[in-house]
Amino acid sequence: MKAPALTEGLRQLPAGDKRLLKVCFGAALIALTLGVLFGAGTAGTRAGFVDSGPLYGYRMMTAHGVSIFFYWLYFAQAGLLLAFGAVFTVPGGHIAWRPLAWTGLATMIAGFVASGYAVIAGLPLLYDAPPELAGVPSPAVAAFYLGYLLLAAGLFCVAVSGVATVLKPRFDHRIASWPVVSFAAVGWAGLLIVSSIAALNAFLPAARWALGLSPMPSDYSVGWHVLFHNMHYLPLMATVIVWYVLVQAVAGVKSVFGAHLSKIAFAIYLIFVPPTSLYHMFLEPNLAEAVRVIGSLLSLFISVPTVTVFLVIVASLEVHARTHGAKGLFGWIGMLPWRNPAMAAMGMAVVNLAIGGAFSFVLIQEKIAPLLSDTFFVPGYFHFLTVGTVTLTFLAALCYVLPGVTGHALWKPGLLTALPYFITAGLLIFGASGVTAGYLGVPRRVLDVAYDGTAPALWGTLMAGIGIGGVIMAAGLLTYLYGLFRTLWPAPAEDVAGMTLPSVAWGDVTPAATRAWAGPLSVLLLVGAMAFFTALAFEMIQALPLQAAGAMGGH
Amino acid sequence: MTNESQVKPHFTTRRGFIAAAGFGVVGLYFLWAGYGAAPLNIFAGSGESQAPAGGGHGGGHGAAAGPSVEEFRSAAESFIESNKLPDGSVMPRRQAMAEATSMEQMDHAAMGHGPQAEAPAAADKAAKAQAPMDHGGTQGGHGETPPAAGATEAHAEAGPTDIYLMAYQWGYQPAVLRLQANVPYRFRMMALDMTHGASLQLGAGSRIIRLRPGALVEQSFTFTRPGEYLLYCTVYCGMGHDRMQGKIIVTANQPQESSHESASAH
Ligand code: HEM
Ligand SMILES: [Cu+2]
Repeated sequence: MKAPALTEGLRQLPAGDKRLLKVCFGAALIALTLGVLFGAGTAGTRAGFVDSGPLYGYRMMTAHGVSIFFYWLYFAQAGLLLAFGAVFTVPGGHIAWRPLAWTGLATMIAGFVASGYAVIAGLPLLYDAPPELAGVPSPAVAAFYLGYLLLAAGLFCVAVSGVATVLKPRFDHRIASWPVVSFAAVGWAGLLIVSSIAALNAFLPAARWALGLSPMPSDYSVGWHVLFHNMHYLPLMATVIVWYVLVQAVAGVKSVFGAHLSKIAFAIYLIFVPPTSLYHMFLEPNLAEAVRVIGSLLSLFISVPTVTVFLVIVASLEVHARTHGAKGLFGWIGMLPWRNPAMAAMGMAVVNLAIGGAFSFVLIQEKIAPLLSDTFFVPGYFHFLTVGTVTLTFLAALCYVLPGVTGHALWKPGLLTALPYFITAGLLIFGASGVTAGYLGVPRRVLDVAYDGTAPALWGTLMAGIGIGGVIMAAGLLTYLYGLFRTLWPAPAEDVAGMTLPSVAWGDVTPAATRAWAGPLSVLLLVGAMAFFTALAFEMIQALPLQAAGAMGGH
Repeated sequence: MTNESQVKPHFTTRRGFIAAAGFGVVGLYFLWAGYGAAPLNIFAGSGESQAPAGGGHGGGHGAAAGPSVEEFRSAAESFIESNKLPDGSVMPRRQAMAEATSMEQMDHAAMGHGPQAEAPAAADKAAKAQAPMDHGGTQGGHGETPPAAGATEAHAEAGPTDIYLMAYQWGYQPAVLRLQANVPYRFRMMALDMTHGASLQLGAGSRIIRLRPGALVEQSFTFTRPGEYLLYCTVYCGMGHDRMQGKIIVTANQPQESSHESASAH
């Protein structure tokens, strides 16, 4: 079996590029490992399985958020951006401006170290670290903001190198037009650059304050919100780009709709993501009602680019499979190469995106914010996205990328194929407990929700679910990580023979009269689930023994 | 089957269909509208459903227009002082304290105004009539409008009873409130030092409230069932966050014929 273009392209990269990518993914895996350990510790503390006390408990929560949400996701994106840009733009391509990329990577690693020091040495500030919480300037607080600034500066350099990697072959007239992935990579890199500037805006005044150079900034939370909003759509955009790439790797399938539609779908991320940030602020006391209404309305559109790319991919797969003899409405799904670890991870990522997406759309309705915002509903649903969708997808990509850059065969592909199901099982326990807890008012970011026994007993039970689900997820992820470290590890010889994973090659087909219902039906199902959970929230608000009049959620 | 239909793609695999289906989730809007949470005709504006019915601006003009932390603290302290019970809990007496400008007059307000039940229907009407043009005057609680004669004033005097609540690292004052069911209260809340929550656990679910430091937040609440409700912080505020809690004890009260605002809520 021939290795897919992704693996082949990575193998042909210059040795220097490979070294850079190995360091980058190595850092990513370390960040994820630490983050998962601290996540399990946090979950265990909330469940009462371990008694860490507030200092160590909240430190673990801070360490979890910082290392996983900032460093894992951004090391991984940096590496994937450079790898995809180099491989897909032009045959025999390579990373442009590699010294700049090295500078960026080194800066990001320095940021990681600074952030680690800040978490260990200071009071627990959680990952948003508002200056008012820190209270007084100190070296540890300064390290908190400097860590983030270094991360942003490094990311900026890497993203510029990524853009150059894609643009240079075009300007050198080596290609006539960009392939879809390269096109998407430019948009992705562009958003990374915007985010790093947003980070500068958010953290520079705070860093100056923490160094004793200026008074405490009064608008920290605004800058944070702007950055934060970008920060959690970027990984989602990266996720759909990875899907687009992996579908070619596992099934040899390209979009049946032509490059144009895909390019438009990726381009609209840039248009649809920025205006939809208002919903994070629905609980803010000083937000006008009109802004809330418009904010809800705009947020409805945030799903459009993701759903569109999803539909393009699913319809393309379905059409190909039908041309190769798939039967029934869903028979084609069984024909996918499920024994491929990347396919399994991607499949679970799609399921988890649907679940997480259904819940996330409950929260964009401003009238529901007074029931669910700041409750465990939020971490309950977003782990479906951060763990179940984004992390699984990035791990799927690494199943191809690491063998490509190291020349080693993937460690135990059979086991890695099973793990996404195991992790998803843990996630379902975690998420179902968390979302239920949210509906019932359990606060997020509170380690001990007993409140001297005055809180409902069910709160504690649900937190035990968080602990159990969390431990299962952590066990699965750590095993996966072990396998990827083993793949990355220096090994005596290349193992070219072991490098191909199970796949199908459905080749190029055009959508004759084939139908493709799976995509639209899943969107229908998704909207149904959103409607259900939204209606549930409305009903619960109306049933509360409290009538509220006033600006906030006026029922 | 004709030749054409074999060449022509099925509609589910056409670009236009995919692009349109990409907008599918926007359909959720109709559910919102069904629950009255979104205007059906967006161009008609949000109309009366958005009209604040009391304390409508919820500290909407931020700290600039509202009282300072110090002003709020002294108003809250005199509120506690004049309503304190021997066990340390606070039980506000049921009379009007909705004077616009008079945080300091609170002490005097304790006497002299008729009970709120006296003019319920009028108050309700006044609230409705007034709401659309209310932009931070008497009801906002931090305007400078002097008490005027006439219907507006009558409404103001018969308005909900004021409750003051301070949130700080790490606790609430008053920590225990005794209120009555089916009586409208206007909660005037402020975080004194940094961001906190002042959320209410109400049986099945909660009412989550976020307070930004120095910003007055006003919300009018009527508890419709007696019970003991947990007051707790839902914004991480440091290592004592977990112990930041209070209690609201709501006791039964003979229902006042349609006097409270809930009658107009839907
Ligand atoms: C084994 C896997 C994981 C476990 C057991 C876990 C567990 C937890 C727990 C218990 C919390 C605290 C929730 C709260 O009290 O508010 C949390 C928060 C969080 N987790 Fe995870 N998590 C895991 C993986 C991840 C991953 C992979 C990501 C991102 C890629 C992630 C992102 C976050 C974020 C952003 C927060 C919010 C932190 C905060 O509010 O300060 N988690 N996680
Ligand atoms: Cu607090």
